[in-house]
Amino acid sequence: MDLVALSLSIKLAVVSTIVLIIIAAPLSYSLVFHRIPGRSFVEALINLPIVLPPTVLGFYLLVAMGPKGGIGSAWEGVFGSPLLFTFTGIVIASIIYSLPFAVAPMKASFARMEPRLVENAQVLGLSPVAIFFRVILPNSLAGIAASAILVFLHTIGEFGVILMVGGSIPGKTKVASIAIYEAVEALRYQDAWLMSITLVPVCFVFLLMVNRLTPEVRHGA
Amino acid sequence: MKIRAIIFVFCIIFGFAFSASAQDKITVAVAANFIEPFKEIAVLFETNTHIRPEPTFSSTGKLFAQINEGAPYDVFLSADEKRPEELYQKGLSGKPFVYAKGEVVLWTARKDLCDAGEWKAILVRSDVKKIAIANIETAPYGTASMMALKDAGLWDSLQGKFVFPQDIAQAFQYASTGSVDAGFCALSSALSQQGKAGCYLVVKEAPGVVQAACVLGRTGQRAAAGKFAAFLLSPEAETVKKKYGYK
Repeated sequence: MDLVALSLSIKLAVVSTIVLIIIAAPLSYSLVFHRIPGRSFVEALINLPIVLPPTVLGFYLLVAMGPKGGIGSAWEGVFGSPLLFTFTGIVIASIIYSLPFAVAPMKASFARMEPRLVENAQVLGLSPVAIFFRVILPNSLAGIAASAILVFLHTIGEFGVILMVGGSIPGKTKVASIAIYEAVEALRYQDAWLMSITLVPVCFVFLLMVNRLTPEVRHGA
Repeated sequence: MKIRAIIFVFCIIFGFAFSASAQDKITVAVAANFIEPFKEIAVLFETNTHIRPEPTFSSTGKLFAQINEGAPYDVFLSADEKRPEELYQKGLSGKPFVYAKGEVVLWTARKDLCDAGEWKAILVRSDVKKIAIANIETAPYGTASMMALKDAGLWDSLQGKFVFPQDIAQAFQYASTGSVDAGFCALSSALSQQGKAGCYLVVKEAPGVVQAACVLGRTGQRAAAGKFAAFLLSPEAETVKKKYGYK
């Protein structure tokens, strides 16, 4: 069993989740509370990774993050090392791939909040930043936790995009899903079994937690 | 009006989906190094026989795993002798035969690099940061590249530079887009139209890649599949193979 690949998957998921929550919170906030021109366009753009085949996303990222692509050449200019086929590269890919899963629950919980809370805060003279940190965030912790867990799981389950931009480097970009794929293709079924069976209970427990955190909608109650 | 337009569009889409011709065809599992010559050989074969060979390109090991699980291919063009032989021993295929002998090269899009004259000299340069090697388990060209690197004593010291694409075609793709500085590729890729945009150095230390093919036991098209297998050794096919550097 490839323990390096399993721990790399978890490392990737943790890093992506932290970065994504930091990005998605203000994004969801302005989508709910601000009047943004072309909001539906922005929302559709955020949701694109849900419907696009991972190969399309992977292909674009491969080109963009390569040494000749915009992101890749800018990165190499600033940091002096290539971006493609590195851990940072797959973190960026995961962030784009999982963005809709971070935004959706947060937006829902921001939108569900009692509008009077925000209005009262405004009347009491709090700045928008203070309202965000002192009123909105404490009241949407469940939504944020749901976002975090969904992103975490979605990243663990990521395959197609990483297959295209990772390059399967042990310890750097060869995550569990890729290691399992390669084990199956090389007819090392025992390895594939062991790694798969470790992932199933982990994912199941986290999904149970998502269910607990998101308020249930009961019909006919 | 809108609904009519939608129905019209759907009809066209379904029309295309189901218009697949009733013409004879065989499905061929093709090792990724043989993509370019296969395309040309397939056209020649189709004009001669009116049988269309439909390819699936992947690494030899992956195709082998699929065939083991009962994938419905008619012919298997492997990039080694070991796997067709194993299928034959298991009773899953007809007797394998060698159809091509390939070579491993180090290909790069940066033509200045080839002035080094020796592949090892390219790899150790400090401005060569990433090197592609096809999956060392499932791609025979990847295995051969690894053996050359071990032979040269560079396998351990250069680990930090290696990137592992899934098959030899992806190795060439990484190298030709400049995603990696150089890649271990098949000579056939280096001699293809795209390959001419860069340069290559032969990896002499890599064992030659002896490629065998076989007609699979599950085929429902034994006659057509047999014809295609025989055509692989015909003078027309030989001309194509020679063009791509196969012996």
